[in-house]
Amino acid sequence: MSALSASNITMSIGTKEIVRDASLSLNAGELVALVGPNGAGKTTLMRALAGLVPARGTITLAGKLLGSLGPRERARGVSYLPQGHIFHWPMNVESIVMLGRAPHGDPFSSASPDDRAAITHAMATTETQMFAERPVTTLSGGEKARVALARALATQAPVLLADEPTAALDPRHQLVVMELLRNAARNGNAILAIMHDLTLAARFADRVLIMNEGRIVAEGAPAEALAPERLASVFGVEAVTVAVGDKRVPIAGRAL
Amino acid sequence: MGRFRIEIALTALILVLPVISLMVGPAGLSPRAAIAGLLSGEGPAGIIVREIRLPRTLLAALIGATLGLSGAALQGLLRNPLAEPALFGAPQAAAAAAALVIAFGFAPVTSFAVPGAGILGALVSIAGLVAIAGRRASLTVTLLAGLALASFAGAMTALILNLAPNPFIALEIAFWLLGSLEDRSSDHLIIAAPFMLASWVVLGVNARAFRALTLGEDAAASLGTDIGRTRIMVVIGVALGVGAAVAVAGAIGFVGLVAPHLVRRAVGSDPARVMLPAALAGAALVLAADVAIRLGPSAVEIKLGVVTALIGVPIFLSMIFRERRLLEGADS
Repeated sequence: MSALSASNITMSIGTKEIVRDASLSLNAGELVALVGPNGAGKTTLMRALAGLVPARGTITLAGKLLGSLGPRERARGVSYLPQGHIFHWPMNVESIVMLGRAPHGDPFSSASPDDRAAITHAMATTETQMFAERPVTTLSGGEKARVALARALATQAPVLLADEPTAALDPRHQLVVMELLRNAARNGNAILAIMHDLTLAARFADRVLIMNEGRIVAEGAPAEALAPERLASVFGVEAVTVAVGDKRVPIAGRAL
Repeated sequence: MGRFRIEIALTALILVLPVISLMVGPAGLSPRAAIAGLLSGEGPAGIIVREIRLPRTLLAALIGATLGLSGAALQGLLRNPLAEPALFGAPQAAAAAAALVIAFGFAPVTSFAVPGAGILGALVSIAGLVAIAGRRASLTVTLLAGLALASFAGAMTALILNLAPNPFIALEIAFWLLGSLEDRSSDHLIIAAPFMLASWVVLGVNARAFRALTLGEDAAASLGTDIGRTRIMVVIGVALGVGAAVAVAGAIGFVGLVAPHLVRRAVGSDPARVMLPAALAGAALVLAADVAIRLGPSAVEIKLGVVTALIGVPIFLSMIFRERRLLEGADS
């Protein structure tokens, strides 16, 4: 049984169909990249998978209908990391990571031993302990990205949905974040990440889904899904392929 | 204990300020006489303390706490340190309804009918906001609808002043709008307190939602927060509490905006933990302002809303300068 499965998802805003008949499944232990041009419907689809917006079609979480779950039960099953790593108040990093435990336990008690263990583990994995006491707004973009990820991991939900987790990060932090996601997948999480960097997607993802004009137009191992002909038709770029380690990854050469 | 230092300090402050509040006035009382009068209720001191100064003192504390809590809740909901209780128009609606009664209802400023009308005005404004914006409206639509309502209520108040049957009534309304606790009785306390206490409960239960909202609406929703319900509860809670406060005491500016700021840093900017100290700080501010009024040399009693702003602005400015760096960091 898949950790998360969606079939025939259709979503409209007004009369415009944003997502058309999209189906996908996500298994424990895999990191899946969702790629596609701007406006393809990736974020809209992901918000439906997180249970934040209604959609036509069927979404199940570990076999249970997503819509049948209460908000907290759903939150324990799916963790969602939105774009942009938003932190409005200068709360300290540890309090931010602790928010990931909000769906657990009763709302009027303080952190349980399980909560403490999850927070410690999430902060250790993301190497954010050294600024546990710092106001999150004083961190750099890369540090904020790691804190945001620690918050999402602290929930210890089986499914993690991440919307452009590497956007606006320097090359080193892009690699750091992708390695964190890959390790989380190895530890049994099912992870779906929206990505724009096809090279990173090809290097780190176990599987790639390509979305275009609301439809999922291709799915498969990175080398097949991101073949040059498809990149030409979907993204309008002429891609070259280079070897990085034991993998062949695409680089967008020029716009067609 | 260190964790709750700010709460303890503020609690000590609002235990001391009421005693001072019971002591000061045209007839000064010693602390001992004030407390003896409060406990026995006998003699001139007993009457002064129990019937004149106690309702005023309790109202000051309740109104201040309500304003501080409402400010903290709105700032938490909107993730914006500039949010303040007048944002959704409830205080303006309460003021307009109260002005209407003073102008044409033949009720004196201190009668029971004025707060009753004010609270009714605030309730009508909630109904109006929900009707215009809809129960599931986005934050922007709710804010714009609130702005429209606030402007409309402000225009109504101006119109009432404009059409007031005689200049004395116009002046009476104008003074009433400046906010005061002069001559408020236990009747005022009884009509307003239930609404304020209800607002504390409605706002307080959303504390954890405000904390989650520091991550933005989507992330908060993904953590199990019902954003739509939180928003409607804050609108209702603020309207109940601040509407009742304005209805009995007129407009008391700045407390709702400044109280959360005064204590925010002490609680690490946590929008849930800021609520209790913000309420305590609001109570302390209004109590202190009301004491300052009675200590002042002026023959005419300076209005409460004037004093809270005069005290609040310098504190606010000094705090902005002290925390400029942190505040600017939070915007990026």
